Amino acid sequence: MMLVINDKNLEVFIEKLKEKFDFFDIRNDKLPFKKYFFPPVQEIFTRNPLSKSKTSDLKTAKTPAKFVLFGLNLPQLEALTQLDEIMQKPNEDFFYFQNRKQSIVIGLIDVEIDAMPGGDIIFQKIGEGKYKVWAENAKSKQIIKENKVFFEEIEDEEIESARSFELSEGAEWSKTMRELLADSENLANAVAWSHGHKIWDELAEKCLGCGICTYVCPLCHCFSIEDRVGLDDKCSRCRKWDSCVLPSFSRIAGGHSFRPTIKERYYNWFYHKFVRAYREFGKSQCVGCGACKKNCPAGIDIQEILKTILEDYKKVMSDV
Amino acid sequence: MINNKPRIAIYDFTDCEGCETKLVSLREKLLLLEKKVDIVNWRLGQEYFEAGPYDITIIEGAPITRHEVDLLKELRENSKILIALGACAALGGIPAIMPEKDRKYWYEKIYTSQYAPRGIDAVPLSAYVKVDFSIHGCPIDENEAVRAVEELLAGKTPSYRGYSVCFECKQAGNPCRLLENKPCLGPITQGGCGAICVSGGSPCYGCFGIRDEANIPALRKILEKFADEKEIERYFSMFHSRTEDFNKNKEK
Ligand code: SF4
Ligand code: SF4
Ligand code: SF4
Ligand code: SF4
Ligand code: SF4
Repeated sequence: MMLVINDKNLEVFIEKLKEKFDFFDIRNDKLPFKKYFFPPVQEIFTRNPLSKSKTSDLKTAKTPAKFVLFGLNLPQLEALTQLDEIMQKPNEDFFYFQNRKQSIVIGLIDVEIDAMPGGDIIFQKIGEGKYKVWAENAKSKQIIKENKVFFEEIEDEEIESARSFELSEGAEWSKTMRELLADSENLANAVAWSHGHKIWDELAEKCLGCGICTYVCPLCHCFSIEDRVGLDDKCSRCRKWDSCVLPSFSRIAGGHSFRPTIKERYYNWFYHKFVRAYREFGKSQCVGCGACKKNCPAGIDIQEILKTILEDYKKVMSDV
Repeated sequence: MINNKPRIAIYDFTDCEGCETKLVSLREKLLLLEKKVDIVNWRLGQEYFEAGPYDITIIEGAPITRHEVDLLKELRENSKILIALGACAALGGIPAIMPEKDRKYWYEKIYTSQYAPRGIDAVPLSAYVKVDFSIHGCPIDENEAVRAVEELLAGKTPSYRGYSVCFECKQAGNPCRLLENKPCLGPITQGGCGAICVSGGSPCYGCFGIRDEANIPALRKILEKFADEKEIERYFSMFHSRTEDFNKNKEK
């Protein structure tokens, strides 16, 4: 047996969710879904040591009300699962999970899957106006139970086989990217080997170091900390997304920089995603969503770069 | 090190006073500030004034006349910390759009030959004296000015924003102008303004100053795809015609 929903009921179901929860449709967002858990700028705590109040002067960021994130596609669902994993190591990131635990994540996909790649509920388009519903955890089962009038349980065989739907913009790019990512070990070896490759000199001339590729990536998770002592004596600690392509990122107290040129910094972007991530987590920190390519003002395409590196790496390896 | 309650002076040279107006717009925060510092000299903000030396001197505007240049040097001697306020002071800004060699022509054309010009040239404060910190913008973001003062009061060296305008532009949800073949200096410009111009539909002209280690030649290459040399020059010369970064890259 499987659970399905038609598009009319899906609309009503969404309206029901909106009545009960804060609701965010992420499909037209300019920044990736990570911003709901890990905001670009977040005051994580404040203190007022001079306050005369008897209660503690420490105030941490508030837990948000329960909210729904709607519309994650396959790469985004995978990215969410991976980001959760990253944010658990070495210690659970308190402020990330404070928000994350309040979320109900709903995916909307039009491709075949064997298992849930992430999220709480997934609507998988399986025919005209028809969706297969995936919901495996207690939280999502409860929501579906409460709204069971909208869903229908049917025999597996009743379903017409998943049709091929129009490929969304950038789908072809994502497909190729995901093929490359399937062998993340090879990618890791190739990118590690490529240090010194002339492609990094070429990219250093092109890359603006603007950081957009890291902001729009659902998996980039670096931040910096800004402390302030306000005019009102309030002390605050704020964290902000940071980016490894920016010079301030790799500069330490005293002014020394570990990566003084854009060439080294941009290489680090690749090194972290494809080499270090592989060594730490066994996979690349990339899901092939294409956001970095789509948003880069310099028109840099990471897939082209990886292909060049992989090709040259293969040549070198077959020569030995 | 500065005193517990530092003595601050705020001066203005040739400019529009827009940045000082932004300071006035701090309202209640300005009163909070007055508890932490003594503003002992501020022509625009108060009648009361004391002579130097000062702990912190904040200067708005470009030094254009001989008198302003002399005063600037004197203020430098008399100040522990000297801060440039706004693009005119920090970069030359709007007054510096005109090249020195064209001054004579325009003086005559606008004011007739009977006018005895006092302006020598418009250049940033740093052309004459050491500037300890610049609060950027045309006009400044008043909260960034507060941040600089807070950092000084906390005994820190004020820090520049290490990221580009693009960070704030992305947060504002703007589509990227460069991807639509429209000019923008955001990627090479320091953040802090909240990408206010791009959000309002205009390009970023870089009034918050060039970001640390910005790749100006790379941006030029992108701009060249849809703008000619002259147009690109106009974008850069709005605020940067007299900055080192700009001129260094022009020679390349
Ligand atoms: S978005 Fe493009 S230009 Fe900007 S830092 Fe990334 S690769 Fe470089
Ligand atoms: S394709 Fe680009 S933006 Fe998407 S996950 Fe990979 S690196 Fe990040
Ligand atoms: S920087 Fe702009 S706003 Fe400030 S004084 Fe100069 S012209 Fe006016
Ligand atoms: S519009 Fe300008 S400031 Fe905004 S992201 Fe694009 S280049 Fe950066
Ligand atoms: S967008 Fe650019 S020109 Fe406008 S205020 Fe910001 S830095 Fe200045």
